Amino acid sequence: MTTDNHTPETVISVKQLVTHYGMRKILDGVDMDVKRGEIRVIMGGSGSGKSTLLWHILGLYEPTKGEIELLGQNIHQINFNDNLKLKQNIGVSFQSGALFSSMTVGENVALPLREFTDLDENTIRIISRMKLEVVNLGGFHKLMPAQLSGGMIKRAALARAIVMDPKLLFFDEPSAGLDPVVASEIDDLILSLRDTMGMSMVVVTHELDSAFKIADKITVLDNGKNLITGTVEEIQQSDNKRVMDLLQRRSRHDKLNPSEYLKRLTQENYTLS
Amino acid sequence: MWSYQAIERVGFAIRLFWDSFYWLIIGRRYQQKIRLRQVVEQVRVNGFDALPIVMTLAFVVGMMLSIQLLYALSDFGAESQVLLAIAKSVTREFSPLITGVIVAGRSGAAIAARIGSQVVSQEVDALKVIGIVPVRYLVLPPLLGLMISMPLLVVSADVMAIFGGAIFSVSKLDMSISAYMVESFNVLIVGDVMQGLIKSVVFGVIIVLVGATTGFHVTGGAEGVGKATTSAVVISISFIVLADMIASYFLTQ
Amino acid sequence: MTPDFIQFDKSDQQTTLFISGEVDLSNSAELRKTILGALKTTDSVKVNLSGVDYIDSSGIAAMVEGLQFANSNGKKFSLTAPSQQVNSILRLARLDQVFDIE
Repeated sequence: MTTDNHTPETVISVKQLVTHYGMRKILDGVDMDVKRGEIRVIMGGSGSGKSTLLWHILGLYEPTKGEIELLGQNIHQINFNDNLKLKQNIGVSFQSGALFSSMTVGENVALPLREFTDLDENTIRIISRMKLEVVNLGGFHKLMPAQLSGGMIKRAALARAIVMDPKLLFFDEPSAGLDPVVASEIDDLILSLRDTMGMSMVVVTHELDSAFKIADKITVLDNGKNLITGTVEEIQQSDNKRVMDLLQRRSRHDKLNPSEYLKRLTQENYTLS
Repeated sequence: MWSYQAIERVGFAIRLFWDSFYWLIIGRRYQQKIRLRQVVEQVRVNGFDALPIVMTLAFVVGMMLSIQLLYALSDFGAESQVLLAIAKSVTREFSPLITGVIVAGRSGAAIAARIGSQVVSQEVDALKVIGIVPVRYLVLPPLLGLMISMPLLVVSADVMAIFGGAIFSVSKLDMSISAYMVESFNVLIVGDVMQGLIKSVVFGVIIVLVGATTGFHVTGGAEGVGKATTSAVVISISFIVLADMIASYFLTQ
Repeated sequence: MTPDFIQFDKSDQQTTLFISGEVDLSNSAELRKTILGALKTTDSVKVNLSGVDYIDSSGIAAMVEGLQFANSNGKKFSLTAPSQQVNSILRLARLDQVFDIE
């Protein structure tokens, strides 16, 4: 565990976040607090605003209203140099990996070190290869991203995300599109990074198994609102209808309404009510 | 709606231009250093690699000009003026225009495709969260690269076009090729060559800004990248022709 | 001049470096220089990590480079008394199987 006393107890704080896309309200007053060392999973159906929330926390989108603090700093009132320092304490693993396709895997991982530290080239090489070892890609530094499989891309992206030893780590759909074995490897990596480095994490995912395995707390978004936040047990035992929908505890095993079912199959303009 | 978007895009392009030089000048202070290696690479890809095609087409256009001008001038018995006409029209007009069109097709398309695919694959977002200003990394190197390589391309195009003109004209003028070339350089004044060079730098800026602007606005995956690439070429050639006319007007006052 | 987070204990055959406090990007370059310097003057270097509260990847990298230098020059390089945080980081990159840890 890091004993860094400068890190506040609450590392991510989102207050009353409201945002629009055109006329449509995507986020409608979302609150969220993440504690140091916590793994927070954000879930919700598509269109619930979960990815949008992540982009706002990362400062990629500007909200209509509301405040976001990372490591005690308001990201909308921060000057350029402080923001740069803040960004070096943040790692992001994108859904597609977002590796720079013109660089080798090793250059991808080393890029933040090259840009923002004065470290010796030997040191940079050792650190970036060490990170590749951590994600089980030892010896793959010379390959181009196009030569990697989906699971390897996600792991390489994770190596780049942790290369600066960040305090905060963000994941967008870390296990989407991966087979169960690889997905569970990524989950194990997430857990061991938290346990050894003491990182705090926010994971946006729709994979239930993965969420239940890694989460300390789960926040469920629905229609841009925070539907419920709680531990895995609290979410699993919730009797909220929307939460149950999300957990797919109903639907297929429910009794079928024959006339409704027939409508779904036959009516040209049928829409879900 | 369409015109509103067009104005917005022009504004975006001007911002790109401004931001590029902003980061060029003050970037070092904010850990946003511009890498010389990146600029050199851009000069190689956008300038040096374009030399064969630019020189070949310039040569052909020079020949074409001499065919047409000899025909037209023979009506007045003024064939001897073909050397002056070719030298002036090539340096002031044809070299920069041909070079601009070729580079728009090569580099403008490449810049739009590169940035567009990086937007689609979230690489641009990845740059931002790492703390790298995308303009400094993606726009400034090709911008400087083309501002350096366009004039160099135009100078070689000048020489090749005049040479192409010489090949066809010397027999009619009863001159040697070397005498024709020397005489051509003698009739040119600094202003003629400068006009072509100034235009070429403007065209280079247009190509990069249009390519980058269409690239940054890509939506809709791989298909969107394809569309952006095509429109980047069409739009930048249109702006090049328009800018050529405006520049010709002011530079010949 | 020795940076204040590193204490020296030097004999003819062996140098022991006592590291304390936090090792991060701000001082790992000095640690690297000190380790490589010690390896040039003595045959055996021990790095005592008992006083380390936090070490980041650049600090670990400095020790990796020390080990590499020692191995290729027939010298000895070892770590002693790593704290729990140091240990877990070493284990994460499986470096606990590479270093000579006492």
